[in-house]
Amino acid sequence: MVAQSHGSLYRYLVNKPPSLAEKRRLRKIERDFHVRAFGEELARINFLPEKRRKAAVAEMIDHARSKGVDLGRPALGVTI
Amino acid sequence: MERLIPYAELEAFFTGLVRTAQSRGITCAITSGMACVHFGVAATTKDCDVLCAVGQAEEFRALVAETELRGLRPNYRGNISPPLDARWMRGGWTAHFTWKTEPEEYCLDVFGTAPRASSVWEQELHDLYASRHTVAEMKLTNRPKDWPYVTALGIKLLGMGDVRGCLHLYSAETLLKTVRSQPIPAWMFEIRPTLELARTGDDQLAAAIHAEQVFWSHLDACRIRVYEQSLRPYVNAVRKAIAHRPISLAESHAIRIECAERHLVKSPLVAHGFDQLVQAARAETAKFAHPSLMEWLPKATVHFTGIL
Repeated sequence: MVAQSHGSLYRYLVNKPPSLAEKRRLRKIERDFHVRAFGEELARINFLPEKRRKAAVAEMIDHARSKGVDLGRPALGVTI
Repeated sequence: MERLIPYAELEAFFTGLVRTAQSRGITCAITSGMACVHFGVAATTKDCDVLCAVGQAEEFRALVAETELRGLRPNYRGNISPPLDARWMRGGWTAHFTWKTEPEEYCLDVFGTAPRASSVWEQELHDLYASRHTVAEMKLTNRPKDWPYVTALGIKLLGMGDVRGCLHLYSAETLLKTVRSQPIPAWMFEIRPTLELARTGDDQLAAAIHAEQVFWSHLDACRIRVYEQSLRPYVNAVRKAIAHRPISLAESHAIRIECAERHLVKSPLVAHGFDQLVQAARAETAKFAHPSLMEWLPKATVHFTGIL
């Protein structure tokens, strides 16, 4: 059996930009979710402009590693 | 003690690798944690996952082999990695590479098919990265820590006007707030029936979403078990052939091909059967979920795209 794909359907459904009001509403929903799921500090980082956001993430990762946090993962032969 | 390589340098290294590959005509994209960081969902990672078109595995392997990190060339990671070869990539195997710098090593996982994908990842790339949709589907794992990323990427998709975002919302509150303003096509209800519960505001929604997560978790665990069972004879053969000798990536690759040809099933999931896998995951979920929730589980057979 070959797995099916909905790929060909997708191109007709995507990228109808939401209105400004809908964008604002989604932004609020997104922010609320990030605070609930990741906590205040990560949520704050996730809503920074790209350059500052990536710098903050890099700092967080480097700090964790410098304190001995192992961010590695096992090689299983199959990607999790 | 030598210093760790800063994340910014690692990110530049891996994006540089993918940029060079793309400039050579290789279809490939960064996915998983580094893609999440790029898309605005902070993840703690130092390694990189890359999707590479199956038919271009050889060219990508040649590029990896010549790519130095702080003056070091990579090798396969341990005995367990299958060879980066189209025959096994088509079956969903992942090749693991490592640059063994001190004091940390840095890893690259390369795969040809995106696990749990319902669409063809090559059809939708964002520069150096896989699409948010693909990355979200790849995060439907048996690790609870991955689930917030799925929802976060789903909201991002909706913000871009991509209604598929609703497929990725695993927070009842978030789904309820968004689904009614989205023009959801029939096929999405087919592959994710819980959208109907969200549309009607049914009280069962939160429990049904939890059951979905249990189901995906079991599906992933079943999938990994199938691969692990197939891997054992191959790993033993590679271990015996390499026998702790320091060898180059090219030598290691040749050994792995020889061992894989004799011992590694090319596509264990196809041999096992997608339907059987889904049924096993449903059976495991049924031990936990209330019977009334079973009808809302996803039709996961569409989530094996590309595996041949």
